[in-house]
Amino acid sequence: MILLSIPDLIGRFHPILVHLPIGILLLGCLFQLLTINPKFYVLRPAVPLIYLLGGLGAVFSSVSGYLLSQSGDYDSNMVGIHQWLGISVSVISLIVYTMYKMQARESLLNLVAIVLIVLITITGHYGGSLTHGSDYISSALKDEVKGKAAIPPIANVQQAMAYTHMIQPLLQNRCYNCHGSEKQKGKLRLDGKDFILKGGEDGKTLVPGSAEESELIKRLLLPASNEDHMPPKEKPQLTAEEIELLQWWVKQGADFNKKVQDMKQSEKEKVLLLSFQTGAVKKENKLADIPEKEIAKADAAAIEKLKQAGVVVIPVLSTSNYLSASFVTAKASADVLKLLEPLKKQLIWLNLANTALDDKGMQAVAKLDNLIRINLSRTAVTDKGLALINGTSHLQYVNLVGTKVTVAGVEQLKALKELNSIYLYQTGITKDDEIKLKKVFAKVNLDFGGYVVPTLEKDTTEVKPPVAK
Amino acid sequence: MTRDELNAHRLVKEAQETELRAFTRRHFLKESAMGLGAVAMGALLGSCGLGGKSNNDILYDPVHPLLPKAPPFLGKAKSVIYLHMAGAPSQLELFDYKPELMKMDGQDCPQSLLAGKKFAFITGVPKMLGPQAKFAQHGQSRAWVSENLPHFSTMVDDVSFLKAVSTDQFNHAPAQLLIHTGSPRLGRPSMGSWATYGLGTENQNLPGFVVLTSGGSFPDAGKSIWGSGFLPSVYQGVQCRSEGDPVLFIKDPHGMSRDLRKASIDAINASNEQEYAAYNDPEILSRISQYEMAYRMQISAPEVMNINDEPEYIHEMYGTQPGKSCFANNVLLARKLVEKGVRYVQLFDWGWDAHGDGPNNSLNIGLKNKCRSIDKPITALLLDLKQRGLLEETLVVWGGEFGRTPMMENRNGVQNPYNGRDHHTDAFTIWMAGGGIKKGFTHGETDEIGYSSISGKVDAFDIQATILNQLGFDHEKFTYPFQGRPFRLTDVAGKVIHDVIA
Repeated sequence: MILLSIPDLIGRFHPILVHLPIGILLLGCLFQLLTINPKFYVLRPAVPLIYLLGGLGAVFSSVSGYLLSQSGDYDSNMVGIHQWLGISVSVISLIVYTMYKMQARESLLNLVAIVLIVLITITGHYGGSLTHGSDYISSALKDEVKGKAAIPPIANVQQAMAYTHMIQPLLQNRCYNCHGSEKQKGKLRLDGKDFILKGGEDGKTLVPGSAEESELIKRLLLPASNEDHMPPKEKPQLTAEEIELLQWWVKQGADFNKKVQDMKQSEKEKVLLLSFQTGAVKKENKLADIPEKEIAKADAAAIEKLKQAGVVVIPVLSTSNYLSASFVTAKASADVLKLLEPLKKQLIWLNLANTALDDKGMQAVAKLDNLIRINLSRTAVTDKGLALINGTSHLQYVNLVGTKVTVAGVEQLKALKELNSIYLYQTGITKDDEIKLKKVFAKVNLDFGGYVVPTLEKDTTEVKPPVAK
Repeated sequence: MTRDELNAHRLVKEAQETELRAFTRRHFLKESAMGLGAVAMGALLGSCGLGGKSNNDILYDPVHPLLPKAPPFLGKAKSVIYLHMAGAPSQLELFDYKPELMKMDGQDCPQSLLAGKKFAFITGVPKMLGPQAKFAQHGQSRAWVSENLPHFSTMVDDVSFLKAVSTDQFNHAPAQLLIHTGSPRLGRPSMGSWATYGLGTENQNLPGFVVLTSGGSFPDAGKSIWGSGFLPSVYQGVQCRSEGDPVLFIKDPHGMSRDLRKASIDAINASNEQEYAAYNDPEILSRISQYEMAYRMQISAPEVMNINDEPEYIHEMYGTQPGKSCFANNVLLARKLVEKGVRYVQLFDWGWDAHGDGPNNSLNIGLKNKCRSIDKPITALLLDLKQRGLLEETLVVWGGEFGRTPMMENRNGVQNPYNGRDHHTDAFTIWMAGGGIKKGFTHGETDEIGYSSISGKVDAFDIQATILNQLGFDHEKFTYPFQGRPFRLTDVAGKVIHDVIA
């Protein structure tokens, strides 16, 4: 690391220093224009002093700005305009000071004040564009959300161009701001093949074929606290998938003209690439444990009644209004089950295991149409009772272990599209039925249990130490 | 000015000066610097959304300290069963297959491995020791498991292995404390205490945090390894037994009727309530609730904790030994407890310290026998939880407190009589299953002799962060105020191991 030289250091103060002359000079112009009204004439003696201070501040800002521009991190075109505007502001403010001393005509002074205001505004705008990017203000008007996917979803990833459709948009949304046409921090540009291959002041940024040696990847992988981590920690970061995508692209030779399908992919990378496809896998994972839809708070009195009956009713997480209910220390009598109905919108997890719940009681359970998980293991529920919940369309988890349900009963659940797992250990389901059910529920994890851990000879014997000779 | 007025004036002045004298320079510095700083800091934090009460503040209700609470985030696991093999099993004879180490068997250990390292017993230059078991790949995930665990090797597609766990403690007690309390020294709450403090427990007739030990000895770290530290004492682990009375002295003594017992507990509670009225110490309320829980437990615990009412095929599956105290019985009991809503079940099995200083502490005899005693039960536990639909919401963790060296132990420079390995902190294996953990996955890798981790290195804090994450907590936000600052289980470290989360 090279220590900053003094001019460099002064240069870095430019973005702070500039605000001083801007404020002072605007105040001077304001006072000058106010004195048009005789009421404010008392301000007049202050005006030349303000202009002098502002002018000197502007000169110093110009010098520091010039030093900053020498770092080369900025778009030279824009720097040029900003520089000359800044210089003219300093010169004009000093001229207007001399005009005061030479007692120039009042109307002329007013005119110069207006010119100065306009000049300061334009100069300031260019300065702002240099630090924050020229789309800083306009982007706030556009409907752009921070953290939005850097790569727009692609209809068919394998058909897409690896660079043009994936890497380029990623770089554009995450890197161009500082490494693009306007700013070139570290003398690095990433907006185009030639620039990327050329690298920056620290040398090559990309080593095609080796993600480990590529500075581009290394910087992304550094811990966010590291000074060299990219993007800087206050800027939007790349997701793990986006970094993996870049790694894959570099590893496969960082080709700028190939289609994704023409580049080598391992099984894992295929899955990774698929995640950038429109409506991809993510949705499948999203079959969440709790509904995304917000729901109103449940009636506190209704919850209290259930608690009195020994039912454990708590939110599924402390910030959610969705509830779970467990009968682990409660009796599932008709009276208690009735108390569940007021919570039918909020109740999503229900544990009735080891209770005396029967088919009649299931009528109350069937009214809870937002249920996602239900545990009916070792209850008296049969096929008849099970049929009652075949309209509980969000069910993902159904535990029927140790009940008398049969294959006919379970088949009634096939209308439930979101089912993920059904547990059927110790039910009236035979080996033949299992095959049948597996066909009906091709995508559901069916667990029939009955696992055996055979007893091996070694399980009951011990290794003996050799007998000493 | 009259005399009286003068006296009054003097008195006032004196009082003022006395008052001022009470403010020392320290006060001034504290009030001005700290005070202003604190005001500014508070305002700053407030504007960042960090100040004030967050949803993560777990309120501790001294009257019902164990009532179930919702986690701040969606948890995948409702309960945890932690199987700790006290003494530290050898990863090189169980999961971490190192054929290269075989080639070095019997050779002197290269100096590069010894430089700057500290060992518990190894001195001088030890010999390298090849794997003392045959390995094979198993399941679709092609995970390596040795012949020492023939049953468990059929389960590899249900678990996630962490192959590069490391620690900084090479003695049993501190290393065990580090894994379970987040500090190698005494005094911090154990993970089970944190879990019950944060989530309470579903079944108010049973303790929320149960500890079961086997192997003939307590873990080296003693009972403080399931202690509640600075958390309210009601959250400490309750040690139970799988044979005889589940909790010692749970039965009413001879001549004590149920009514008399109730009357005496009521009397004790009444006097405790007076005490509370006088001192307002919330621990007194906890004590009252514990008496009541103990009374309820007298009825429910013997029933739940009796593994004898399980059917024969379940006993066969777990390989239990009726009438004895053993690991298999404890594992079966753990499953029963989780089924009844117990939050955290901690098992310790002692006897894995295979130094090679005696037959029972050797890799070829003692370790093999220890493996035989756990192989069937841990396999049965996973399968049984699975077939009951409970593995989805029960996190099972298996591991020791550190690993063992690729070198053969030479205690005080002299070769041990049996094949054994010394304590090793840089790389060992822990596995997790269920509770939202990936199936059939391996995270982390060690070098070709299993000496250091080369990728996916994790430590005790990472494991704690992951366990808390699966229970629905952010380990950095889950704190308890003590001695003027918020404490967390993971202290100032820990990163959730996202790679093993499904």
